[in-house]
Amino acid sequence: MQAFLKGPSSVSTKAPASKERGAAAAGGSGEGRKLKPIPWVEKYRPKCVDEVAFQEEVVAVLKKSLEGADLPNLLFYGPPGTGKTSTILALARELYGPELFRQRVLELNASDERGIQVIREKVKTFAQLTVSGSHSDGKVYPPFKIVILDEADSMTSAAQAALRRTMEKESKTTRFCLICNYISRIIEPLTSRCSKFRFKPLTDKIQQQRLWAVSEKENVKVSNEAISCLVQVSEGDLRKAITFLQSATRLTGGKEITEKVVTEIAGVVPKETIDGLLSACQSGSFEKLETVAKNLINEGYAAAQLVNQLHDDIVEREDLTDKQKSVIAEKLAEVDKCLTDGADEYLQLISLCAVVMQQLTQNG
Amino acid sequence: MMSKNSSRTKIVPTKVTDWVAPSFDDFFGNTNIFPSTLPVKSSGEANRHQKRKDHSSVPESSKKKVLARIKGKSSSIDHICDHSKQNQSQSQNEPWVDKYKPGTQNELAVHKKKIEEVESWLKAQIFQRQPKQGGSVLVLTGPPGCGKSTTIQILAKELHVQVQEWTNPISLDFRKEDFKDAFNYESSFQMLPSQAQTVLFQDFLLRANKYNKLQMLGESTEADDKLILIEDMPNQFYRDRDSLHEILRRFVRTSRCPLVFIISDSLSGDSNQKLLFPKEIQEELCISSISFNPVAPTMMMKVLNRIATAEASMNGEKFAVPDKTSLELICKGCSGDIRSAINSLQFSSLKEYSSENNLWSRKKGNSTLKSNTEASRTKKKKKADKTLENQEIQAIGGKDASIFLFHALGKILYCKREPLSDSEFPRLPSHLSEYERDILLVHPEDIVEKSHMPGDLFNLYLHQNYVDFFTDIDDVVRASEYLSTADFLCSNWNSRLTLREYSASVATRGVIHSNTARAFAHCQGGMGFRPFHKPQWFLISKKYQENCLTAKSLFSSFCLPPLCLQTQLLPFLAMLTNPMRNQAQIAFIQDVGRLPLKRHFGGLKLETLTDKDLGMPGFENIDEGDLSAMQPLEVLVQLEKNQINETEPDEFPLTSSQASGSELPASQPQPITAQAILEEDELKIDEYDSD
Amino acid sequence: MSLWADKYRPCALGRVDYHREQAAQLRNLVQCGDFPHLLVYGPSGAGKKTRIMCLLRELYGAGVEKLRIEHQNITCYNKINCYLNSLYSDAGNSDRVVIQELLKTVAQSQQLETSTQRDFKVVLLTEVDKLTKDAQHALRRTMEKYMATCRLILCCNSISKIIAPIQSRCLAVRVPAPSIEDICHVLSSVCKKEGLTLPQDLARRLAEKSGRNLRKALLMCEACRVQQYPFTSDQDIPETDWEVYLRETASAIVSQQTPQRLLEVRGRLYELLTHCIPPEIIMKFILFLKTAICFSFREVAQMAAFYEHRLQLGSKAIYHLEAFVAKFMALYKKFIGRWTRRHDVLKHH
Repeated sequence: MQAFLKGPSSVSTKAPASKERGAAAAGGSGEGRKLKPIPWVEKYRPKCVDEVAFQEEVVAVLKKSLEGADLPNLLFYGPPGTGKTSTILALARELYGPELFRQRVLELNASDERGIQVIREKVKTFAQLTVSGSHSDGKVYPPFKIVILDEADSMTSAAQAALRRTMEKESKTTRFCLICNYISRIIEPLTSRCSKFRFKPLTDKIQQQRLWAVSEKENVKVSNEAISCLVQVSEGDLRKAITFLQSATRLTGGKEITEKVVTEIAGVVPKETIDGLLSACQSGSFEKLETVAKNLINEGYAAAQLVNQLHDDIVEREDLTDKQKSVIAEKLAEVDKCLTDGADEYLQLISLCAVVMQQLTQNG
Repeated sequence: MMSKNSSRTKIVPTKVTDWVAPSFDDFFGNTNIFPSTLPVKSSGEANRHQKRKDHSSVPESSKKKVLARIKGKSSSIDHICDHSKQNQSQSQNEPWVDKYKPGTQNELAVHKKKIEEVESWLKAQIFQRQPKQGGSVLVLTGPPGCGKSTTIQILAKELHVQVQEWTNPISLDFRKEDFKDAFNYESSFQMLPSQAQTVLFQDFLLRANKYNKLQMLGESTEADDKLILIEDMPNQFYRDRDSLHEILRRFVRTSRCPLVFIISDSLSGDSNQKLLFPKEIQEELCISSISFNPVAPTMMMKVLNRIATAEASMNGEKFAVPDKTSLELICKGCSGDIRSAINSLQFSSLKEYSSENNLWSRKKGNSTLKSNTEASRTKKKKKADKTLENQEIQAIGGKDASIFLFHALGKILYCKREPLSDSEFPRLPSHLSEYERDILLVHPEDIVEKSHMPGDLFNLYLHQNYVDFFTDIDDVVRASEYLSTADFLCSNWNSRLTLREYSASVATRGVIHSNTARAFAHCQGGMGFRPFHKPQWFLISKKYQENCLTAKSLFSSFCLPPLCLQTQLLPFLAMLTNPMRNQAQIAFIQDVGRLPLKRHFGGLKLETLTDKDLGMPGFENIDEGDLSAMQPLEVLVQLEKNQINETEPDEFPLTSSQASGSELPASQPQPITAQAILEEDELKIDEYDSD
Repeated sequence: MSLWADKYRPCALGRVDYHREQAAQLRNLVQCGDFPHLLVYGPSGAGKKTRIMCLLRELYGAGVEKLRIEHQNITCYNKINCYLNSLYSDAGNSDRVVIQELLKTVAQSQQLETSTQRDFKVVLLTEVDKLTKDAQHALRRTMEKYMATCRLILCCNSISKIIAPIQSRCLAVRVPAPSIEDICHVLSSVCKKEGLTLPQDLARRLAEKSGRNLRKALLMCEACRVQQYPFTSDQDIPETDWEVYLRETASAIVSQQTPQRLLEVRGRLYELLTHCIPPEIIMKFILFLKTAICFSFREVAQMAAFYEHRLQLGSKAIYHLEAFVAKFMALYKKFIGRWTRRHDVLKHH
């Protein structure tokens, strides 16, 4: 944790955004122990709003506030790794500069205690500190503070309700920025008090550009396929992609990063294996299916991951009717639930495959 | 008074003999001995002192009378002797239970055979004693209010045998605070520690043996045959059975007179008889045991009738004598407890109640009203009658109608049905005809409730026994599915308390409905009697947990997850010779790693459930989690103990470990525990080739 | 005397018998003396723990050897690092608290000799997949809190049951089961070291029978040695008693489908349970039988999955096991009925 605090991009006295921490762990200590390793996600976070990739609408609004306009309360939502946290941090840094930043920004994420109590006490006291528009160095800063509530959708609705009052009361001196993945999990009174911005999933092209840039700066040898594979396994989540890249670098120890390493780290089931499973289903032979399934488990692939990938595959298949797809999808959902309940992977997989087989063979 | 008190308490030996004396009881147990039975007497703290003072002035006889009422059944023999004669003269407020206490064998509402059984035992022990014969012990069991004590007392009277009864000394701990202020000298009062109770009990037994009862109140001294009666078991013995057994052993060796224990079965508690007198002890000490049944309805009717007519002839103006049907209802409502039946008879026929707003008839009216509406609504007359009956029983019942587990299970599994009488009742459409059933005569939920068992426990009993009642495997499939669902409902400990009932409902109704062989009233016969068994699951799951824990602690050096340990390492270690470490491990491997192959279906021993058994309430609160908290060490120690007994020392060294080829070293002990449970194969099944 | 599986356990990343490439990667990982939280997963008997121990040895030198003994005693953890086994498996629902307390004490305890080695401790938690969701969340918080002083190595069979935040905080290392060839190879080399000759055929049969579980293969091989030496390539491979017993049980199911037989099977299930065979294993084994595959496989598979799920959630395993067996019987009976009918028809023609 000290690692982050010392890092130039670490943002608050509070713990930095939780998601980065895994990355931090993976973030190599390649530089040795004297120089604490910095996770690349932190290192290559956009420094100013302009650098934020692909979210033009948001950037446009925020830029206006940089030019002196007032900032509304913000609600950022969208899939993970699309730059929500980066955007608000970049904005705050541009607004206040590195020095005032610590005084004027309070960041809370899901890892911190965020019960009603905390909302009432911590946020309130922070919000009640008045700030003046100007500072000792003569520069003019906006006369408000920013409270960033990351992963707001994991707050209890009671805490959210408590927040509502605070938001109204402190509107003179404080701006809130709520960040969440699912807007449906934020209570209505809160959403209506914020201007909402949806963050689009990054396109493959933009992600690839970023990844190339990072690997260039870090002097990592990486193959073309590996990059596109990274983009694919991270499903539009740039943070995940960068984290994977860093882990892969550490594992390979200087050699070129190949597609195989990437799939390995991501724990993704290779395409061939899935195809093998599906063709076993297609064949209608239970013996075959059994061996394939057993192998899959023996290889250590997680059934939950497989369910996800099978889903993608099934949905796109053209030789299945909608009805057949829906039958399979229902079973997929059931299996997923059972797996989270701790049911046996092999049995669930076999029963799933049996359904898939039934549907596939019905066809032919 | 004060000096009397202190002198008595300080001189312990006197006290011992005094426990049989009523005045002492009264003295001590002023308000607190029988707080529940004696609400009238519970007086405030302030006037207790006063009251005590008054006692000395209370004439002896009236004191005695009061006592007789208080103590009811436990009053000693001298009251009983002249009790029936006193009956007439006593006040009308006296409970009828005491007023109409039977005076002769004929009046007893106990089956003749039972009385004879007890009588012949008594005769054999008292009049035909061999000179060298030691003391003998009889245990009488039965539900409360079935006449156990009265039988003994009447028989004793008729045989002219003196009864000496043990009464628990009252430990005054709980009154210590009260006394401190009121009587200063009480601080020096000797508290009776719990152990003392045991000592005193022993003292009592051996003394009662030697001396005759102190002569009191001018009673006759002719009867020198006597019998010791113990109804009130010192609590200490429930915790420490061994000491009881020890005392009994001494008693049997040294004593000359019979000892009778009276133990009431209770519906909610554990079976005390089993607890206090396990089989081994019963056999060792030749304890005979006679169990009483609940009073049969016909007998009870006789008694109630007798009382009713007697009351009517005596106090006709004061009592509204109930008619025959109401007597029958009382009879049903009290489920064989004659004491409660008489009590409810007295209560229900009190004129004050019956005249002003008539509790009795109001209840009745209520239910008839209900039955009317119901009848008109559904036109199912019979069913309406049934519900009416149930309601009334509950309305009057001085007692919840409860069912023994045995009968409860029987009701569910034999599921009596009644043919659908007429076509008015809508039938299921034809495609659902396989679900067509006749009307059930039982209410599964009621039964479960009356069995006084949590639903999940009841389910276990059901599960243990249901298969015997099925003939078709497809039915079993459905029933087992319902049981599985029922368990699933109960699985979350958060909601278990709420869902228990539903779960029991799912299980019982599921099992009843899925048994197509008993779907209709006309195919009910030909079932025959099937024995019930107690669920094996507790034993199995306990053993499973224990074994797992032991495995973990014994083989921790392998650092394996339990799964690997149990399914891979242990079974293979059983086959290997070399890596044996210590005796406990070897024993465990042999026990757990090996399975009795080639011995087809040596099934686990089944414990038959009888109509007296009350389930295993001890297990109610022990869920799997608690079991797992059992100390593995204990198990281990136990194992090692077994080990020491089991292995012969000269076979001990494991020299053969290297040399041995295919056979296991001879020194490895035979499996112990698992075998112990196994019964020798009683079921031979035709050989089937394994794959 | 120790088991072959322990005796010939490789003790350096450079000397592992298979997955060499992965071993090299792991070595790269710890080369600089530090490593991220690890999440090692893979089927049982694939060598997860072997690799973890090798990794630790790489970090700490031979001292790890001693720790192996020390780790059993929970209260006495080493100043340098800490190796904890699955002590929470008996904690049940309170495992969350156990985890928190545990990590707290470990992470906060001061290192006595700071000079010697690493400035962080390593905590190894096995069977993380058995932790409740609550405990996993607690673990996630703790991971963040003590990142500076503590590295976690989590070990589990499957990551399906690990919550996403933990997965994303760890570098996931998948250890697949060794292939048949790998196992053959290991078996031969172990036998060679023991001074035994192992026929290739037998090695192969052992490997296949083990279901790609190296530990099991080694144990079986050792049992073979006890049973008969010199080896012949067609000798019987000893089976564990419970497997034989289950097979018998299965044929009992197949030979007759009546409620009476179900009762007998129940007795056998109880017997298995008292011998520490977990219920889910019993269920799986019955499904694996060839007889199960030849008739209405789909239904049997569905049903097994269904009841196994129930088993996980329910409280008393026997209900679900028995329901499964009953259903199995009914399905089989139906199947046999169909089959004989068809047979009769054929005969008539």
